[in-house]
Amino acid sequence: MRLFLLSWAVVMLSGFTAVAGSAAKRFFPYPYENHTLKNGFKSILIPMKGSGLVAYYTVVRTGSRDEWEPGKSGFAHFFEHMMFRGTQKYPASAYNRLVAEMGAEANAFTSDDLTCYYMVIPTLKLETAMDLESDRFQNLSYEEAPFRTEAGAVYGEYRKNLSSPMRLANETLLNTTFDKHTYRHTTMGFEQDIKDMPNMYEYSKTFFNRYYRPENCVLLVVGDFDPAAAKPMIEKYYGGWQPGYVPPQITAEPPQDGERKIDVTFEGRTLPLVWIAYKGDAFDPSDKMVVSAYLLGDLAFGENSEISKKLAIREQKVESIDGDFGFSRDPKLYDVYSRVKDENDIAYVIGEIDKTAEAFRTTPVSREDLEKTKKRSRYSYLMSLDTPDRVGSVLSRIVTLTGGIEAVDQFYATMAELTPEDIQAAAQKYLRKERRTVLVLKGAKS
Amino acid sequence: MKTLVATLILSVMLSTVVSMAKDKQSVLLKVADDPTISFRILFNSGSQNDPSGKEGLAALTAAIIAEGSTKNHTYEEILALLYPMAADVSEQVDKEMTVFSGRTHRDNLDEFYALVKEILIEPAFTEADFNRVKKDRLNYVQTTLRYSQDEELGKESLYEFVFTGTPYGHNEEGHVKSLSSITLDDVKEFYRTHYTRENVVVGLGGGFDSEFAEQVRDDFEGLPAGEVAAVPAPHAKAIDGVQVEIVEKDTKSTAISFGFPIDVERGSRDYYALAIAISWLGEHRSSFSHLYQVIREERGLNYGDYAYIEHFPYGYARNFPPANVARRQQIFQIWIRPVPNETRVFAFRAALRELQNVVENGMSQADFELTRKFLKGYTLHYAPTTMMKLGYALDDRYYGIEEGHWALFAKMLDELTLEDVNAALKKHLGYENLKAVFITPDAEGLKKALVNNDPSPITYASDKPAGVLEEDRSIVRYPLKVKPENVRIVKIEEVFEG
Repeated sequence: MRLFLLSWAVVMLSGFTAVAGSAAKRFFPYPYENHTLKNGFKSILIPMKGSGLVAYYTVVRTGSRDEWEPGKSGFAHFFEHMMFRGTQKYPASAYNRLVAEMGAEANAFTSDDLTCYYMVIPTLKLETAMDLESDRFQNLSYEEAPFRTEAGAVYGEYRKNLSSPMRLANETLLNTTFDKHTYRHTTMGFEQDIKDMPNMYEYSKTFFNRYYRPENCVLLVVGDFDPAAAKPMIEKYYGGWQPGYVPPQITAEPPQDGERKIDVTFEGRTLPLVWIAYKGDAFDPSDKMVVSAYLLGDLAFGENSEISKKLAIREQKVESIDGDFGFSRDPKLYDVYSRVKDENDIAYVIGEIDKTAEAFRTTPVSREDLEKTKKRSRYSYLMSLDTPDRVGSVLSRIVTLTGGIEAVDQFYATMAELTPEDIQAAAQKYLRKERRTVLVLKGAKS
Repeated sequence: MKTLVATLILSVMLSTVVSMAKDKQSVLLKVADDPTISFRILFNSGSQNDPSGKEGLAALTAAIIAEGSTKNHTYEEILALLYPMAADVSEQVDKEMTVFSGRTHRDNLDEFYALVKEILIEPAFTEADFNRVKKDRLNYVQTTLRYSQDEELGKESLYEFVFTGTPYGHNEEGHVKSLSSITLDDVKEFYRTHYTRENVVVGLGGGFDSEFAEQVRDDFEGLPAGEVAAVPAPHAKAIDGVQVEIVEKDTKSTAISFGFPIDVERGSRDYYALAIAISWLGEHRSSFSHLYQVIREERGLNYGDYAYIEHFPYGYARNFPPANVARRQQIFQIWIRPVPNETRVFAFRAALRELQNVVENGMSQADFELTRKFLKGYTLHYAPTTMMKLGYALDDRYYGIEEGHWALFAKMLDELTLEDVNAALKKHLGYENLKAVFITPDAEGLKKALVNNDPSPITYASDKPAGVLEEDRSIVRYPLKVKPENVRIVKIEEVFEG
C-alpha cells in the first residue's frame, strides 16, 4: 500500500504516551500500542504470539521525495547503503558479525516517500537488535574510502536494472510529467547524479544530520515479544537520541497545463508499453475522493475490468492492462499501463482507455461491482498480514504517510461508506486529459 | 466482516502446526487457528516430460489450465468469481513437477474450492485460450527473457549448457521453434497422459477439517487412471576444463553465471554439510555471503554475488527460494550480478579464486562456528507461512525426508563438524572443470582475454586497504586455463531459438 501525509503532531510528553486503539471500529486485526518518547521518537508495538520471530522495522519518513537540492537525486537510496557501514561502537565488521550470529534476515529499501530498515530475528535477540539499530541511527560513522566504494555498489544496482524497459519508462515518465516537484526523479536518481556520488562525502553527513532524527523515524516491532519488556528497552536505547529534524524544501507541483505526450525508444526488443499517468492527490484516509480513486483504478482498469477482459482476453490486443491508483505523501500519479502486442494497435488501445475513462465519468458503476471491489480490497489486505515480517512490511508505507497506523482503520471506514456516485465523482475529477501524460515506449528492434 | 476481523486476529498462531499427514497421494498440513486454507495440487510431471521437438509443452499446458476456461465457466467468468475473494490459482512448472497453488480465507472456501476443482479437473482447452496463452509465452522467451532480464537469461543459459543432451537440457518455457510448433491437440494429449490420479499429489494446509480433506482427495481420485512413463535421470556429462558460452548482446554491463553438476540430494548428510559451506560462501541476497563481501563490499563492483547447490529460479525478485522445484540432479552455481564490462574478467577471476580457496583450504573453524549460528536463526525465514510449509512438506515427500527438511537441517547444524563440511567440499566441488556463461558485448574481445589468460588490471574510484590491493595482485593474474575450442559465441537472437 502506498501512502499519505497527514500532519503528524509529535506530542512532547514526559516518558511514554500509550495509545491503544479502541477495538470497536477496528479493521486492523491485531491489538497494538503506540509510544512516543520525549525526543519525539514513536514506536508501535504489535504482539503476534506463536512464531518465535520478531520483525523490527525502522521507518525513516524520508525518501527520494526529500531530495530537493539539484545534483542530489538518488541520495536517500544511496544513504540507505551507508547505514550498513558501521559506528565507533560497532564497526561494519562487528555489526555484520552480530547480525549473522542472530541469524537475522536484515535488509533495507527506499522508495519515493520512505527509507525502511528491517530485521527479522528470533525473539531472544530483540535487545541485541535494538542495541545495534539504535546505535547506527544515532552514531553512524564512516570514512571517505568506504563511502566511495559504496557508491560503486549503488551504480552496480542501477546497472542491473539497465536491461529493463520499465526502468527507462519510469525515468522518462516522471521527468516529463513533473516540472517542479521532486517526484520528477526516480528513487535511483538521475544517472549523472549517481555517477557523482563518490564526491559527496561531506554532503552525506549533512543528510544524516537533517533526516535521521527521532521525530522523523518510527519503529515498528511486530511478532512474538512482550511489549511490557520492550518499552523500557526502547527508553534505554533511544531516549538519548537528539531531535533536530530539518524538513526538506520541496516545491509544490503546479497544476498541469494540458495533456503531455512522450515517445521513448528502448535499445532492445520489448513489447510496446502504453503508460498513462493522471495527476492524483496526496493520500488522505478520510477523504472520500482519494479512497474512491483507489477503487476506481481497480474497477476501471484492473484484472476484472471490462477493458481488461476485452483487450486481453477477447480481442487479445494486449498482454496485460492494469490500473494502479496508489498512495503518496504529496500528490503524485494514478497510473494505467498496458503491454500491447502489436505496435499498430497502440492508438486503438489508447482510444479504448479514453472510452473507459469517459464511461466512468458519465455512468455510475453498479452497486454490486463496487461492493465486490471493496470486498476484494478487504480480503486482500487482511490476508497479506499473516507473518510478523509481512505486517511490518505492509504497515511501513502507511507509517511513512501518516506517522502511525490508525489510517488503516480510517481508510477502510471511509471505503465502507462509498457509493457509485463517489466513484463517478473521482472519475470526473481525475480521469481528464489535461491532467495526464501519455508515454509510449517501443523497442528499437522488432 | 466482523467475523473476518475476529478470525484473522487468530492468525497469530500461524506457526502452530497441529498435524501432518502424508501418503502416496496427499500431504495434509493442519495449522491451528489459521483462518486461511492453502492449496498446492502437484503433478509429478514437468519439462523433462516434454516430447522431443515440443519443448515447453508441460509449461504451456499448465499455463492454459491456470489462465483458461473450464467446461462450466469462461476464463472471464472465473476471474469475476475469484475477484471478490482476492484469490487466484497460479501454476509453476519445473523439470520434475508442476504445481498449482492458491489460498483463500475460510469464509470463501467452498466457492474457491469449487473453482480449483473445475480448473484442474475440467479444463476446456479452447482455441482462444490456447492462442492467447501461447502467444504470451512466446513473447516471454523471444522478448522479455532475451532483452530485458539479463540475469535470468544467464542462469537459464547455464542450465541448458550444463544439462545439454539430457531431459533437463531445455528451459521450462521452451524455445521459439518448439513452442511455435505446439498444437492444441498436443496440449490436450499432454493433459490426458499426465494429469492422472496416479500422478497427482494433493497438498492442503491451514484451517481445513478432515472431512474437507477427504472430499478433496476423493475428487482428485476421480481423475482418469494412467501411469506416466518414467523419465531417465538426467546425468549431466562430466565437464572437461573451463567451458565458456558468451551470449553476445549490446549491453552496458556483464551478467555472469558459472557452475557444474553435483550429485548431492537434499536429505543426505553431505547435502547439509555443503549447505553450511555454501551459505558462508554465498548465501542468497545476504551480506553474510563471502563472495558478496569480496566483490561488492570491498570492491564495489556490483550489487551482489551468491552461490547455490539447488535451483533458485527468479532469484533477482526473491529473497528465498520457491518450493516444489525439486530435482534429481542439481548444479553448484555462482551468480555474479552485472559488473561493468571492463571488470568482467576480473570479477570472474575473483569468484573462481574464492571457490578454489574454499575447496582447497576448507572453511576456518571460526567461519564454521559463525555460519552454524547464522543458519540456526536464518533457516527460520525460509518457510514462515502455511503455504511455504506445505510446499516444503511436498518436497520432503519427493526426497523421502521423513522428519522434514528443516527439522533435519536443525539437527545437522548440531551434529556436523568442520571436518564433515570440509570433506564434503573436497568431495563434491571443484574449480577446474566448469561451465560459465557471460551475457556481454564484444564477445571476441572476451574470448581473447580468457584464452590468452591476459592479466585483468583494475582501478578504483577510492583508496583501498593494503590487504585488498595485495589480494588484487593475485586476482589480476589468477590462471584461467580456457582453451579456444572451449569457448563458443552465441548471438542473442539464437538463444532459445531452435
